[in-house]
Amino acid sequence: MDKHAQEWLIPTPSRLKKQLRLRSMPWQMVSGIVLLVCLATVPLALVSRARSKTSTKPRVHLFQDMDNQPKYKTQSPSPIFADGRSMRPPVAGTVARGHLEGDDHYDRGFTMSKEGDAWSVSYFKGFPEQVVVDDALLQRGQERFLIYCSPCHGADGLGNGMVHVRATELKQASNGWTQPTDITTLGDREAGHLYNTIRNGIRTMPGYAAQIPTADRWAIVAYVRALQLSQNATLDDVPADKRDKIQ
Amino acid sequence: MDVTIQGSSQKFVFPAWINYLLPLVLILGAGGAVYVPSLVGYALNPTTLNVGYAPVQPVPFSHALHAGRLGMDCRYCHTTVESAGFAAIPPTQTCMNCHSTIHNDKVTLAPVRDSHATGKPMEWKKIHDLGDYSYFNHSAHINKGVGCVTCHGRVDTMDVVRQAKNLSMSWCIECHRNPEQHLRPRDQITNMTWDAQVDAGQPQLALGLDLKKKYGVHDAAYMTSCSRCHR
Ligand code: HEC
Ligand code: HEC
Ligand code: HEC
Ligand code: HEC
Ligand code: HEC
Ligand code: HEC
Repeated sequence: MDKHAQEWLIPTPSRLKKQLRLRSMPWQMVSGIVLLVCLATVPLALVSRARSKTSTKPRVHLFQDMDNQPKYKTQSPSPIFADGRSMRPPVAGTVARGHLEGDDHYDRGFTMSKEGDAWSVSYFKGFPEQVVVDDALLQRGQERFLIYCSPCHGADGLGNGMVHVRATELKQASNGWTQPTDITTLGDREAGHLYNTIRNGIRTMPGYAAQIPTADRWAIVAYVRALQLSQNATLDDVPADKRDKIQ
Repeated sequence: MDVTIQGSSQKFVFPAWINYLLPLVLILGAGGAVYVPSLVGYALNPTTLNVGYAPVQPVPFSHALHAGRLGMDCRYCHTTVESAGFAAIPPTQTCMNCHSTIHNDKVTLAPVRDSHATGKPMEWKKIHDLGDYSYFNHSAHINKGVGCVTCHGRVDTMDVVRQAKNLSMSWCIECHRNPEQHLRPRDQITNMTWDAQVDAGQPQLALGLDLKKKYGVHDAAYMTSCSRCHR
């Protein structure tokens, strides 16, 4: 390749300019372009900053598209009622269908009887007939116990859950915090008594009726019984052929 | 001045930079045609719009403290998540289970105590909020083995809940086509650190396919039909 052809084959900008006899771009134009390109990155930077940060403002609904319809969904607020709830609490003295709770043993765990002028309460000892104590019930009971009871009573029921540990560290006893009872020591409580404790609470322990449905309360009672057995087992409870293993 | 005035015989001479104008307009036009749509697309992307919303709540309630440090299960508070479409935000009474004694002298908890005394509900701001024309159901997911962390991220490390996923339709559909990538045993639903390989000793895909069969998860045609979510 001779030198002449090479000059034409590789068109560097400066050579092109010379050979085509172009004039330079005026500096205003060059700086205008540079400025434009620089400015173009600003919106991009703003958007990616918005993407990487949290925002306390809800999302922008550029197109409404029926995103917010004039209807109430679960737990949404309503300006119509004084308390701001769109979900109305049941009127006092009424019972919703299916929520009668008419079975003393299953729904309450105790019966009341009147002798003379005094009412006496007697708790049911065993499980109601609707409840079949089997492996599945115990599994369910364990799961529910770990969700609802273990924060205070601990996974083992001894009364040293994380909330108690923390409340003790924070010296909350002065505010009225009481150590949760060691439920493995309550083998003599009737099943109905345990059930009623879950439903209505006892002394400083709150009731869990709103959080735990009836069937699950009985599952927890069954699991509490299992915990009590496991903590208070004697050698006689172990099958004879396995005794030497743990002795 | 060499400006043409009507009636005058002087000619208008184009300045030299005019030569650059046409190529410049073409190049900028082409650049703009790429730039503007990508900017708008980037800015209006559901991930840009939705992710990271973390409003200031009336009480500085911390999941990192309650669900993280104290180790409370999500269902202690969000009780309906397994049985209903809506994951209930806990009523004031749930907070009072503990806070009737613990920290019952702190100002931060004054709105909770007021709400308990007056019966007026706490006004928590809703964070995750789909368009009202779409239908979502928690229990359908929880009972088929989709864990909270898959859709809400590590809530147990958040002092203030923020939206972790964009909740766009394409996000929903992506999983509805291949749910096996995300399924886990039902008893690990609220576990925030569960991992198929570590905790079940199986790769996610193999375990997911097993669980898909075991829990009877529907096929992709059923799961992506419009009427599932627009009913
Ligand atoms: C907020 C913490 C907390 C939670 C959660 C909790 N308890 Fe308690 N529980 C207590 C405290 C505190 C006591 C002791 C009350 C006292 O002596 O004043 C107690 C006492 C008890 C007792 C002893 C009652 C008696 O007969 O003396 C039982 C049984 C019991 N709880 C069962 C449960 C079960 C079952 C659950 C789960 C559904 C549960 N608790 C959840 C705090 C809690
Ligand atoms: C002590 C009760 C409590 C526990 C335990 C709890 N939460 Fe919450 N959660 C709340 C309250 C109260 C709110 C509303 C205030 C807020 O957004 O912080 C909330 C809000 C949320 C929201 C945002 C709801 C919205 O408005 O879109 C999500 C998601 C959530 N929780 C998930 C979880 C998960 C996952 C867990 C388990 C790791 C959990 N929560 C455990 C009480 C609780
Ligand atoms: C099972 C018991 C329990 C429940 C239920 C509970 N908390 Fe707490 N909460 C605690 C404990 C224990 C602490 C103190 C923890 C610490 O400081 O390490 C605490 C601390 C707090 C604090 C920090 C107070 C401060 O200023 O230091 C706030 C705010 C709070 N809780 C709000 C709530 C709200 C709102 C709810 C209801 C959705 C709720 N909590 C339900 C046990 C509970
Ligand atoms: C398949 C994804 C998915 C899973 C799994 C999931 N969520 Fe959600 N969650 C959502 C979506 C989507 C919304 C918004 C719903 C709406 O606006 O209608 C939401 C909303 C919420 C809310 C606000 C109340 C509501 O229902 O709108 C809470 C609280 C919540 N989730 C808690 C949880 C908890 C706790 C778990 C685990 C037990 C969980 N979520 C599992 C997707 C999910
Ligand atoms: C991580 C996976 C995953 C994500 C993300 C997800 N889903 Fe699902 N979804 C499932 C699975 C698994 C089922 C159970 C299907 C079955 O019952 O066979 C399901 C079921 C459903 C159902 C019930 C279907 C029926 O009629 O039986 C609805 C409605 C639904 N999803 C809506 C949504 C919406 C809306 C979103 C997005 C906001 C979403 N899902 C995001 C996995 C997911
Ligand atoms: C897995 C659930 C799911 C299925 C299946 C589904 N969608 Fe959607 N769709 C959604 C959700 C969730 C949104 C709302 C997203 C939001 O809030 O931004 C949505 C939004 C939309 C929108 C509104 C978009 C906008 O921004 O205005 C249209 C239109 C739509 N879907 C059409 C369809 C059609 C057509 C089908 C069937 C081919 C379908 N969808 C199937 C969940 C679903």
